[in-house]
Amino acid sequence: MTTTRDAEPSAPTSPSGKAGAARRRPGPRTRAALLVLPALVPVVAVVGAALTSAVLLSLGLTPLVGEPSLSLDAYRAVATDLGSSLRTSLGIAAASTAIAAAVGLCLALAATAAVRRSRLLGTLAALTIPIPHLVGAAAMGLLLADAGFLSRLVGVDPSSWPPLVGGRLWVAVVAEYAWKESAFVALVVAGVLSSRAASYAETAALLGAGRWARLRHVTLPLAAPALGATAAVSFVYTLGSYEVAALLGRAYPEPLAVLAFRLFTSIDLAARPQAAAVAVTTALLALAVVLLALRALRRLAAEQ
Amino acid sequence: MAARRPASRRARRTAVGVGALLLALAGCAAPVSEPTTAEARGWDDVLAEADGQTVRLWMYGGDDKGNAYVDDVLAPAAAEEGVTLERVPIADTGDAVNRVLSERQAGVTDGEVDLIWINGENFATGQQAGAWLCDWTSMLPNMEYVDPEDPLLTTDFGLDVNGCEAPWHKAQFALVYDEARVEDPPGSVDELLTWIEEHPGRFSYPAPPDFTGSVFVRQVLYSVAGGVDNVPLEFSQDAYDELAPELFGTLEDIEPSLWREGQTYPQSLQELDQLYADGQVDFTMTYGPATLPDLVEEGTFPPTTRVLLVEDGTIGNASFLAVPSTSGSRAGAMVVANLALSPEQQLAKARPEVWGQYTVLDPERLPGEVQTQFAELPQSEVLPSYAELSEDADPEVEAGWVTALDEGWRRQIAAG
Repeated sequence: MTTTRDAEPSAPTSPSGKAGAARRRPGPRTRAALLVLPALVPVVAVVGAALTSAVLLSLGLTPLVGEPSLSLDAYRAVATDLGSSLRTSLGIAAASTAIAAAVGLCLALAATAAVRRSRLLGTLAALTIPIPHLVGAAAMGLLLADAGFLSRLVGVDPSSWPPLVGGRLWVAVVAEYAWKESAFVALVVAGVLSSRAASYAETAALLGAGRWARLRHVTLPLAAPALGATAAVSFVYTLGSYEVAALLGRAYPEPLAVLAFRLFTSIDLAARPQAAAVAVTTALLALAVVLLALRALRRLAAEQ
Repeated sequence: MAARRPASRRARRTAVGVGALLLALAGCAAPVSEPTTAEARGWDDVLAEADGQTVRLWMYGGDDKGNAYVDDVLAPAAAEEGVTLERVPIADTGDAVNRVLSERQAGVTDGEVDLIWINGENFATGQQAGAWLCDWTSMLPNMEYVDPEDPLLTTDFGLDVNGCEAPWHKAQFALVYDEARVEDPPGSVDELLTWIEEHPGRFSYPAPPDFTGSVFVRQVLYSVAGGVDNVPLEFSQDAYDELAPELFGTLEDIEPSLWREGQTYPQSLQELDQLYADGQVDFTMTYGPATLPDLVEEGTFPPTTRVLLVEDGTIGNASFLAVPSTSGSRAGAMVVANLALSPEQQLAKARPEVWGQYTVLDPERLPGEVQTQFAELPQSEVLPSYAELSEDADPEVEAGWVTALDEGWRRQIAAG
């Protein structure tokens, strides 16, 4: 699926068509395709089928009641909400990804190069990963709420505690995503750095590069592709995820996933196509982000 | 994989594939929304067919007492009639409705859902799609104990029940406050609105479409309209346009006096309960007051928690058991619904230690001894009796109102 055009000429052409002329052994390309198959089939079956049905529903072709007819009514009906939801979702995703990338990079640097003693730090960061988002959100709620653990610890009256949960700035939501995703970023970036950074840094040091120069010219460029890829993954994940924003967010405006879920579970059956329209929009947005990220990553890789 | 095929051919193949898929899917038009009617037959006939059937009852699974009642009291009684009752816990009744609707779309005749604990908007949604079996409740022998004129039981949020669901229990909306913190409890919804403005930051309500928050908004609607008689229960755009501005104007007026100055609202009743338990607000509210004595006993709510009795009465409703038209065990489901209506089951369910749900049976139609037993049910200090609580009870408006008010609230109050 994702074979680039540059890769194509290098692939040997298999002598299909001339039956019997060659041994019937699959070429490397076919073999690669076969290896991808176990991953590809479920993705196409599940995601493909879900997306297709969402598109059809949003276009009014598979209504729960009434005659199917092609129309953009669902998109028109959600257009006003879509604007505020888009802004909210993009804002939350951007803020939490930026924090997660910064914190994750620092963690990775600390865990690999600078402080070799702190393998403990890496382990601690990785501990975050198996905790489900829902549990993380609940914990964050208990910690940051008006009468939560933190406000009691500091001894601040609930009424004067800043509205971190359900407040205007979505602090608790961003904090939860940033906390969880920073561990993911740290794990991947640390993996890349630990295998490659040491030798390059030693060479650079022999050539007289200082600590700062090594960081700037060796470590950071090495970490950049992994950092970019993980940031893109966490951005897209945050954009489409529901539970944290639903648990720690506010009633209005709603992030895309919350809007879609509310419409889907609405008592009004006519709202189903609207829910599908929001879901399709979210998927397109995520796809656009992924494509942009892939392009940026290719450029990053080319620079090296 | 297909990268080396000429682009035009690939495009053509894709187009043909997508076109075929679209045609195939467009071909399966939505199922008819006509309700399925049960054929009239004798109860012995139903009992005979039900023998050996398994009935899966889909119900909200977050209520421990309700779960225990079904597992320990209702299911054994059903087993005696030869019906295996399986409880399927769900997070939201909408999940069961969605399941039934999908099964209908797929043309399933022996679906996973045989019985649903349901009312209001979820019932209306299914009714809109013709998902329920109708005209069967008149066959239930225990319907003789139910008052056929009781408006709470003949309509469900303004929608005629039409024998598409059997009554299960009644519920009453209640405003709850802490006696120790509220010195001058208001006596009506109007007085409550004044109290809110006099005590800034001490009140809030869950944001609709939360079920309870939505009821509170309708309760305020009745109050600002000058009583339930001035609100046409049937939804019409004209009535909405006439009444909504005043309602939302009032809600906007009290907004600065709410918790966090109304900049945000609790998203669910659980959040409001949390605020009440933490002492951040002095009021909470519930559509199931039967849970209150437990919440007080286990220390979640302060012992000084009381139900606010308002002179204009609060909104009451009933919940029901519906049989989806996709059920393969219709007879068994009817037997369970009949059993649930029996005086013994209703009495057991009304006991506070069992579930504490208000009965749907008409006391005057019950045998004398059962009447006494109902009258002797223990009362709690926290919770007034159903008779007191449901005095001047207001009916629910039609489901169409609920959607319109929830949406209007979101546009004007939440976004404002």
